Parts: sequence; structure tokens; C-alpha cells
Amino acid sequence: MMLLPTLLLTVVLLGLWEGIVRLLSVQSFVLPAPSSIAAVLVDHQGLLLHAAGTTAVEISVGFLLSALVGAAVALVIERFARFGRALYPLVVLFQTVPKVALAPIFVLWFGYDLMPKVALIVVIAFFPVALSMLAGLESVDRSLVSLMRSVGARRSEILWRVQVPHALPQLMAGLKIAITFSVIGAIVGEFSGASAGLGYVIQFASSQLDAPTVFAALVEVSLLGIVFYYLIEILERLAVPWAAKFDRTARIAEHDP
Amino acid sequence: MSMAAAAPAPVSAAAGAAPVILAENVAVDYPGRGRTRGIRVLQGIDLAIARGEFVSLIGPSGCGKSTLLKVLSGLLPPSEGRVQVAGLRPAEAARQRRIGLVFQEPTLLPWKTALDNVAFLLSIADRGLRRSELRERAHEMLRLVGLDHAAERLPGQLSGGMKQRVAIARALALDPEVLMMDEPFGALDAITREEMSDFVLDLWQRTGKTAILVTHAIDEAVLLSTRVHVMAANPARIVEILPITLPRPRTEASYADPAFTRAAARLRASLRHGRPGDAA
Repeated sequence: MMLLPTLLLTVVLLGLWEGIVRLLSVQSFVLPAPSSIAAVLVDHQGLLLHAAGTTAVEISVGFLLSALVGAAVALVIERFARFGRALYPLVVLFQTVPKVALAPIFVLWFGYDLMPKVALIVVIAFFPVALSMLAGLESVDRSLVSLMRSVGARRSEILWRVQVPHALPQLMAGLKIAITFSVIGAIVGEFSGASAGLGYVIQFASSQLDAPTVFAALVEVSLLGIVFYYLIEILERLAVPWAAKFDRTARIAEHDP
Repeated sequence: MSMAAAAPAPVSAAAGAAPVILAENVAVDYPGRGRTRGIRVLQGIDLAIARGEFVSLIGPSGCGKSTLLKVLSGLLPPSEGRVQVAGLRPAEAARQRRIGLVFQEPTLLPWKTALDNVAFLLSIADRGLRRSELRERAHEMLRLVGLDHAAERLPGQLSGGMKQRVAIARALALDPEVLMMDEPFGALDAITREEMSDFVLDLWQRTGKTAILVTHAIDEAVLLSTRVHVMAANPARIVEILPITLPRPRTEASYADPAFTRAAARLRASLRHGRPGDAA
């Protein structure tokens, strides 16, 4: 099993952590032992699960919107070249704005519920989607496009039947970046004003110097991130099974000495 | 077709058989940027290719032979001169499915099966066809190139030579009058390359289509062609037209024919002579 070495290493590292904390009797509010984190995970599992559910909804809605907005921006830039040339620098410029700083403004505009988190996720996560999708749309083989055009293919046919499917593998790469950004966006959004969610739990617990709960919530955030990431991986395998990265013959050839 | 009949008769056509491809004094300039002058990549090209001929354009890399093929296939309008394919402007001929094009790369859609790749271009070129007709025609073409057993495979599951055969089937599915191939075996290994030459030779002898092949391989040009046009660079032009008298039907045994050796030697000399550095 490929995971076995990783699991072993994890157990060793956790053991070291536990040992050091106990040996040096580190205060719990400075660095809690893994055992006390685990105790919180078990004792407060209902509360944590509820918080995780809230955050998961924010991530899901925010991510889906980011994917839609990102893909739409790429399609508009590709389809309407002149408008795209005007739009692209603005998109890049907007990307240089530190979007974490927008979080308080979104609270001001949208309140404390789902909306400000979703808005923050979208402004953070649409960019990698747009960029990768655009690269995919533009990397289509020019000869094939001119061949299609020469037999009378319409512009929209080339876009939807050739360029968009061709862009899917790269879009998937962008979506994987976007999903990790979405997790960050949700937590930062909750830091800036929330009454539920794992980010809220982290902030509330740290104000109480309750480090074990902070760490327990962190563990759940990470688990959420991993689950979402692998959901995208599964989606990728379903959507683009023909992508070069899944080509087993090519992989064998690469490993051939 | 009525469109063809309405088109003006090509001038300077040989008496009797009108050439299916005709180029007169064709020149191509690539436009310059800003103050830099444009570059003339083709100069004074005259061509007359009769129906059923197999003509190779051979020359050193970068001599403009691919550009010439782009002009003949309608992908690039000439800056000067006149081109006709089947009595039409090349772009119009392509739209009327008179031209089948094959590139160096197979340019297949990786998410479509071999069959759907063949049917796809045809479905755009002829919107009147039903799905069942498209599939039937695509199957027929795959049988022609000996790949019907691989119809449901994706390009990623095909070898380089097989992919290129699918690309040829895609071009032939249009039932074009002329098959134009731009270094179709350039990306293949030497052994596959020879197999593909034999395959194209056989295909041409069976279908009788007019064919143009851009290549830089002397053996390939001799084995396949009725005539070879030797091109030279700076400015790109045709320096010699060599009829290949090697007897037909040609097979693998043709490589050993003295006529093959003579033609190959002649081509080699002509290619050397055409190089600007060797001219003096």
C-alpha cells in the first residue's frame, strides 16, 4: 500500500509531539498535546461537525460560483477578442488587490451570513479558473482550427466543439487550485464576521485561550480541504478520462529506461 | 457540379486535360511589423497538376514548401498570382469539399474515438448528413485505411502511424478531388515512415485521387510520385520538375530498381544545387 509509509511517519511525528509536550510540560494554551486535541475532537464532535457543515456549504457554493465566473471570464475573453484585450489587464489588476482586505467590506455590504463568505471566495478563487481555462482555449491546434474553418465551420462551433473540450484538462488543474483557495476564503470570511463555521470556532476558542479546540477545528478544516480536493480529482477522472496524464501507455513509456 | 461549370475556364491549361491544380506566378509575402519590410517567402511559382497525378514538393526545411501547400489548400491567400483548384479559388474549393488536408501532426480530437474523429470534419463540411450516414461513411473510410478494428479507440490508444492513418481517413471522408499532405510522416520513426509510404502508395493506386505531398525525404518522393517539384529557398521557388519514370505498380521491390537509384541521385544533386551556398 502506498499510504503505509505516510501513515507510519504520521504516527511517529504525533508520538514525538506528544512526548515533547509531556516531557517539557508545555502549557496547553501554548501547544496542546495530540491526545488533548483528539479528546476535543471526540467530546465536541457534534459542535465541530455542525461548524464544519456550515463551512462546507460556504466552500461549495463559493467554489461553484468561482468556477462559473472563472470559466465565463475565459470564454468572454476568448470569444470577444477585442473586448477581451480590454478586460484582461483589468482582471490582472484586480488580482493584485489583496483580497483578504476585502473581507470587512463584504461584511459591511452583505452582513454575517453566507453571502460575504461566498463573495470573498469568488474574488479569490475565480482567477486560477479563468487563467487555466483561457490557456486551454488558446492552446488548441491552429492547423485543426484552420482545417475546420476551411470546410465552413462557424466560430461558435470551433469554440464549443473543439476549444472548450480541449480546455477541460487545464480547467481541471485550475479547479484544483480554486478549491484550496475556496477553503482559505471561507475561513478568512468567517474570521471577519460570523456566528458559525470552523473559522468562527477557531477565533472564538483562541479568544478563550482554548488551544486544543483551535487545533481540533484546524484538523477539521484540513480534512474538509482534502475531501474537497479529492472530489475534484474524481470529477477530473470522470470528465477527462482521455487526458494525457491518465494515459497509462505514455506513463509506462516514460519509465522505460 | 454546376458551380464548377460556371467558373471561368483556367487559362494556359494543357490541351485536352484541364489541370486540376493550377498556379500562375504565385508569390507570398509575410507582412512586416512596423518599419521592418515584409518577407517574400514564395516567388514566381507556376504549377499545373493533372487529374490523377501524384506530385511531391521536395526541398530543404524552411524553403516555403509548406507555405505553398497552404496557398494551394486555401488556408493562405497568395499575395500575388492566381491559384485554381478544380476550377475554383482554393478557399472555395475547400468549402466545397474538393480538398482533403493532412498535416504533419494528426491533429485528432483526443476525446473522440477514431470513428468520431473521421465523422466530425465531415459533419461540419456536410450539414445535411444524418448521424447514421456519417458513421457509415466513417466506417468505410477506416476500412479503406485498414483501421476499422480500431474504430472505437481513442487517439491516445493508437500508435503514431495509426493516428496519421485516421487523419488521412478524415481527409478522404470528404471525398475530395485532391489529397494534400504536408510532411505527413515527418513526426514518425523511420520504420513506421516506410510503412506509411507503402500505405499511401497503395491507397493512391486504389483510389486514383490527385495527390500532393510535401516532404524532405528523397526516397519517399521517388517511390510515390509521378512528378517531383524540387524547391529551393531565398527566395523560395521551384528549381526543377522531375518526372519519375519508375514502372508501376510500385512496391517495396521498386527501391531496388535502377530507375529508382537514378531518380534519387538526380533529386539529391538537384537539391544540393538549389542551395544558395552551393550555387557558386
